[in-house]
Amino acid sequence: MTVKLSRRTKAAGTVAGVAAFAMLATGCSADGGSAASGDEDITLTITTFGTFGYDDLYKEYEKLNPNITIKPTNIDTGGNARTDAFTKIAAGSGLSDIVAVEEGWLGAIMEVSDRFVDLNDYGAQDIKDRWLDWKFDQGTDPDGRVIGYGTDIGPTGLCFNGPLFEQAGLPTDRDDVADLFGGDDASWDTYFELGAEYTEKTGKAWYDHSGFVWNSMVNQMDEGYYTSDGDLNIEGNSEMHDRFNQLAEATLNGQSAAQTAWDWGGGKAFVDGSFATFVCPGWMLGTIKGSLESGGGDASTGWDFADVYPGGPVNWGGSFLSVPTSSEHIEAAAELSAWLTDPEQQVKQSKAAGNFPSTIKAEETLAEEATPNELFNNAPTGAILAERAKGVQAQFKGPDDSVIQENVFGPALNLLDQQEATADEAWQKALDLLQELVIDN
Amino acid sequence: MTATLTPGKTTPSHSSSPRTPDRAERRRHWLSRLDVKASPYAYVAPFFIVFGLVGLFPLIYTFVVSLYDWDLLKGQGDFVGIDNFVSVLQDEFFWNSLFNTFSIFVLSSIPQLIAATFIAAILDQNIRSKTFWRMSILLPYVVTPAAVALIFSNMFSEDYGLINNMLQNFGLDAIGWKTDTLPSHIAIATMVNWRWTGYNALILLAAMQSVPRDVHESAALDGAGMLRRFFSITLPSIRPTMVFVIITATIGGLQIFVEPRMFDAATAGGSQRQFQTTVLYLWEMAFFRQNFGEASAIAWLLFLIIVGIGLINFLLSRSIATAETKVSTTRRQRRLAAYRNKEVSR
Repeated sequence: MTVKLSRRTKAAGTVAGVAAFAMLATGCSADGGSAASGDEDITLTITTFGTFGYDDLYKEYEKLNPNITIKPTNIDTGGNARTDAFTKIAAGSGLSDIVAVEEGWLGAIMEVSDRFVDLNDYGAQDIKDRWLDWKFDQGTDPDGRVIGYGTDIGPTGLCFNGPLFEQAGLPTDRDDVADLFGGDDASWDTYFELGAEYTEKTGKAWYDHSGFVWNSMVNQMDEGYYTSDGDLNIEGNSEMHDRFNQLAEATLNGQSAAQTAWDWGGGKAFVDGSFATFVCPGWMLGTIKGSLESGGGDASTGWDFADVYPGGPVNWGGSFLSVPTSSEHIEAAAELSAWLTDPEQQVKQSKAAGNFPSTIKAEETLAEEATPNELFNNAPTGAILAERAKGVQAQFKGPDDSVIQENVFGPALNLLDQQEATADEAWQKALDLLQELVIDN
Repeated sequence: MTATLTPGKTTPSHSSSPRTPDRAERRRHWLSRLDVKASPYAYVAPFFIVFGLVGLFPLIYTFVVSLYDWDLLKGQGDFVGIDNFVSVLQDEFFWNSLFNTFSIFVLSSIPQLIAATFIAAILDQNIRSKTFWRMSILLPYVVTPAAVALIFSNMFSEDYGLINNMLQNFGLDAIGWKTDTLPSHIAIATMVNWRWTGYNALILLAAMQSVPRDVHESAALDGAGMLRRFFSITLPSIRPTMVFVIITATIGGLQIFVEPRMFDAATAGGSQRQFQTTVLYLWEMAFFRQNFGEASAIAWLLFLIIVGIGLINFLLSRSIATAETKVSTTRRQRRLAAYRNKEVSR
């Protein structure tokens, strides 16, 4: 789940329902309802955003724990959820018993980590092995307090449009496409070279807008906008500057469709062939589904998902469940968070929401099942994402990471998309905005 | 209102306590005087208590916050005095947001008020199914601004929008409704106008209805045409309402937030801040940059600007009113003088 998942998928809910039934049928008992929460009637509130796919899991948990009632709130986008959470932290009250926190603003939350319960007191160490190491570490603050259980992660593959590839004389089989981009050695050089070729042949753009490409280029670096010590890492960062120039050149050569992110002309840009490739972290598959539906497209539009990514493995996004200290039922809330992030539940969540789980066992299950995703030309998206998750490294996210991503580089890259600046001017614009919005703030 | 109640209270007590007339009289007197003096304040107090709690306190507290280095999440920091105000006043984005606010305000308020006045004038005529027409113009006001913004941002979409499609069908160039400054202001002003014109028209219509019909009739008998009557009778008669409408439109216009926020939901007022209004900038400062101190300073500066413009409006309308009384008093004095002169000469 990421900062901006704006559409909820209804159909997915039924899938989860079936999964929930299957679980009941196998007589599986979860580890909820222990003595800790007692028999006292408790109402637990939980705030999520975008598509979390939890609705059926709530019902299941209530059935397992008759004394617990769950009152969920779902906020449309991660950005709004961030505003909601920040406002309530600032006000000192109003947070629900469980709050979903997104990776992008986890850095800011870490600055006030004492406002959240240390889950070590509620058995975090016992279940630590569920998660990928780096995911568990991300939810741990510098003092070693665990303030969040990971829900999903954002391993990224490459979405491409088969019919458009065909028109340009490129291969359309997803394995051939993976080879075309270089397989394990896929690099941004190859990506932009193919883009230049495609643009020349068809006169159309290669990617939707430069912002997403930039996000994944930065997420791929060992250290992003901040060094692991928490210092700003942009000015004088030649590696980052080189990547920026590379992207700028391609964009100025017409490889970007200059689309508005999260809108894409009401999804129409996914249908009318405006661009042929797309950055696809796990949760983005759900976003594309929503966009295709509102843009009038379907499986026949020809989107597909390849097991390859330029520049190697990369993670973008992912969320955590945290329990604020203001909660009146800390113990019960911690229990529910642990239950919701249990591999078994994560598999169901993944089926309902289309995102990718953060626990090892859940990933293995998805990889084994390799369920074909109808909308993506029957690609086994879960299995591909499990493959893409290999070698992913966690990058340190600083307190202003989302500001830098959206308000510093956003406008600078937009100038390039609109062909209104040279690469140097755009980079300078980013540095100026950084000075104004982050350093002088 | 209260004074009329006191006799009712005092009359029965006259008969009930005849033994100590002096003390009772004095007590009654004191009570009734207290009643007359204090009761009105008690009656209006609820509003002021509520206002103090939800209006004045936040205002003062915001000022306190603006004097500190205050992080949204971490809370109060060091006392910095007016530093926040200084840095806001030196901030190019603040001035950009003020420019955008005023530009959108001018583009919306002026056409809106002109249109509202004429719509009201037309509805003031004796037309069939009046109520239907009057209710219909209020319809846009019922729709929430968020929904309006959704629909309009679709229409004004650059690549797929209805308006650009139509322009291109006529062989014209597509307009950058979301990337160019002026077009984006026009687009947002359109949303504001769509929603508020009918509302203002209805208020002006109510004022027009109270203009005595016989004034119109006698003017008509004297040969004044429709336009002449509108400019010479209707407009001057509704001046106080006009001032009210202008002031509320000003306050609303300077606080505009939802329309530009929803017009491009991914950014806070355009990728290059083309249509970022001051309240939108305040929002970005508080909840995105988490600088609560500076956000409070922006809030206070905006408050001062609105008060300032309100004062100008007030002075303007008062000077118009006093100019009128001046004219009439000088006339009266002249006539009086002439009369006295006649008396003397006689």
